Amino acid sequence: MKNNIIILGGGQAGIYAAREIRQNDTESNIKILGEENLLPYERPPLSKDFLLNKKNEDDLYFHSSDVLKNENIDFENISISKVDFENKKLFSKNEDIYTYDSLLISTGSDNKRLSLDNNLNDDVYYLRNLEEAKTIKEKVSDKNKITIIGGGFIGLEIASSLSQLEKKVTVIEIGNQLMGRIIPKQIADLVQKTHLENGNKIILNKQIDKITKKNGIYEILLSDNSLIQTDFIIAGIGSAPSVKLFENTNLKLDNGIITNQFCETSIKDVYAAGDVCNFYHPFYERNMRLESYQHAQNHGICAGKNIAGVKTEYNSIPWMWSDQFNLNLQLTGICDDYDEIIERGNDINNGVIYFFLKNKKIRGACGVGIMGKVGRDIRITSKLTEKNTIVDKQILSDQNQKLNKLIQK
Amino acid sequence: MYLFSQNRYYIHHMSEENWIEVGSTNSIEEEDLIRFDHQDKTFCVYRLTDGFYATDGICTHEAVHLEDGLVMDDEIECPMHQGIFNIKSGEALSPPACEDLKTYPVKVDNDKIFIKID
Ligand SMILES: Cc1cc2nc3c(=O)[nH]c(=O)nc-3n(C[C@H](O)[C@H](O)[C@H](O)COP(=O)(O)OP(=O)(O)OC[C@H]3O[C@@H](n4cnc5c(N)ncnc54)[C@H](O)[C@@H]3O)c2cc1C
Ligand code: FES
Repeated sequence: MKNNIIILGGGQAGIYAAREIRQNDTESNIKILGEENLLPYERPPLSKDFLLNKKNEDDLYFHSSDVLKNENIDFENISISKVDFENKKLFSKNEDIYTYDSLLISTGSDNKRLSLDNNLNDDVYYLRNLEEAKTIKEKVSDKNKITIIGGGFIGLEIASSLSQLEKKVTVIEIGNQLMGRIIPKQIADLVQKTHLENGNKIILNKQIDKITKKNGIYEILLSDNSLIQTDFIIAGIGSAPSVKLFENTNLKLDNGIITNQFCETSIKDVYAAGDVCNFYHPFYERNMRLESYQHAQNHGICAGKNIAGVKTEYNSIPWMWSDQFNLNLQLTGICDDYDEIIERGNDINNGVIYFFLKNKKIRGACGVGIMGKVGRDIRITSKLTEKNTIVDKQILSDQNQKLNKLIQK
Repeated sequence: MYLFSQNRYYIHHMSEENWIEVGSTNSIEEEDLIRFDHQDKTFCVYRLTDGFYATDGICTHEAVHLEDGLVMDDEIECPMHQGIFNIKSGEALSPPACEDLKTYPVKVDNDKIFIKID
C-alpha cells in the first residue's frame, strides 16, 4: 500500500530511518522535514575535527543528494511549528500543511541555556549544529582566552580542540568531577590530567555567580568570589529532548518522548527515534534516553523497519565515545546499576577499563586510553553483556589475558 | 606455494622482488591480525579461517591503527568509532567509516607470509 510517511527532523536517526523504510517499502512516499537547510550530517566532528580544520563541511554529510534522489527520498527544508495528531497533520509557520499516514519524530535534542540576568545571554555561545560550529570557529580565531562553562563531553571536546589551536582554555564545572557521575571518578581524573598536561585550566565545584563585560573583556565571578577574565565564553551545560512542539498534545512525554521497544509512541502511527526518545530497553528492562551516534543510527534503522511493517525490537547495547586530545573514551551498557566494579589496567597508554557487574554479569563498562587502546575490549564487553555471560573476574582484571576468551562460542 | 588472494592471475605475473616478507604463519592466531611496518607505511596482516589477507594498517576515518581492532569473521572493526571494513575487499561497511580500506595480495611460501606492496 502506498502511504505518506513523514520524518520530522533531518538528523542522523531521521536519515537512517528513511533509508531503512525504502529498503523494505518501494512504494510509499518518504519525506524528511528538516529545519536546518542541510542534508543530514554527522555531529561528532563539530566539536573535534571540524573545529580543528581537519574536516570540512563536505566531509560531514551522511549521504549525497544523489543517494536520496536514487532512493526516492524527499528532503524539505522547513521548520514545523504545530502538530495535529488527531487529523495527522503538521504545520509550518506559514501554515504549509503536511499530511501523513505514518510519522517518525526525530527532532533530536536542544542545548540547555544559561539564563543571565543582564543582557549578555547572546554573548554566550553553544554548540549543537554546523551553523554554531562555524560561528565558534570564526569568532575564536582572533581570541586568546576562552572559558568553557560545563565540563561534560561536548565542553571538554571543545576545550581539547581549542587548546590544540593554541588558545588558553579554562573549563568551569559545577560538579566535583568532569563528565558527570555516570563516568567513574578515576576515569574522569585521568581525562582531567590530560587536559592539565596540555595547559588547560579546570575548575571544579564552582558555580557562576555573575558575568559582566568591560571593554570587550568578560569577567566571570565564581561562587568562591574568584574572578576569571576571558575573551570568549562557550557553554556546554547539557541538553534536553527537543519536544516543545508536543507539550500541549496528548503525546506521552517524560524526559523525552516515551516509546516502547518497537519505537512506537503513545499515539497510533506515530513513532520516534534518536536523542528525543525515552525508550524502553527490553534487555535492561527500563526506559532510558541516550545521546549517541550509534544509538541514533540503530534506533533510526529499527524505527524504519517498524514503520515499514517489519516488526523489530530494539535491544542494542548502548555505546558511545568521546575523543579529547590523544585520548579515546568509550562507554558501553549502563554503569549505574551494579553490585561490583572490576578494574582492568592502570596505565592510560594501554587503556584503563572499569566494568560494572550485577550478579556476576556485566551491565556496562567505561574505559579510556590513548587512541584505539580500549575499543576492542569495550566491543567484546558489549558482546559479553548482550549474551548475559557469567564472567571470570580474574580474566577481566588481567590485561595480559585476552577478553575474547570469555566469549562462549 | 599457496596463494590466498582472490586475484591469482595478477600474482602469477608479478616479479618476486615486490613481495615483502611479513613473518611466519604461526605468528598470527586464527581470526586475528598483526601489524606490519615497512618503510614509512603500516599494514595489517590477518589470518582468517580460509587464509591470510592484508590491508592498510590505518583506519580511513581518522588516523588510528587497526592493529587494536577486533577481527570478526571477514571483518575488521576499528577500535576508535567502530567503523567496519571487509578484510578481503576493503569495503567500508559501517559508519563512521565510509572510505574503503586498501587491500594487498598475500602469499605463503614455506610457512612464511609475504605481501605485495605497490
Ligand atoms: C557537538 C556534538 C558532538 C557529539 N559527539 C559525539 C561523539 O563523539 N560520540 C557520540 O556517540 N555521539 C556524539 N554526539 C551525539 C550524536 O551526534 C547525537 O546523539 C545524534 O546526532 C542524535 O541524532 P538525532 O537524529 O536523534 O538528532 P539530530 O542529529 O540532532 O537531528 C535532529 C534534527 O531535527 C531537526 N528539528 C528539530 N525540531 C524540528 C522541527 N520542529 N522542524 C524541523 N526540524 C526539526 C533539528 O534541527 C536537527 O537537524 C555529539 C553531538 C554533538 C552536538
Ligand atoms: S577512526 Fe576508525 S572509525 Fe573512526
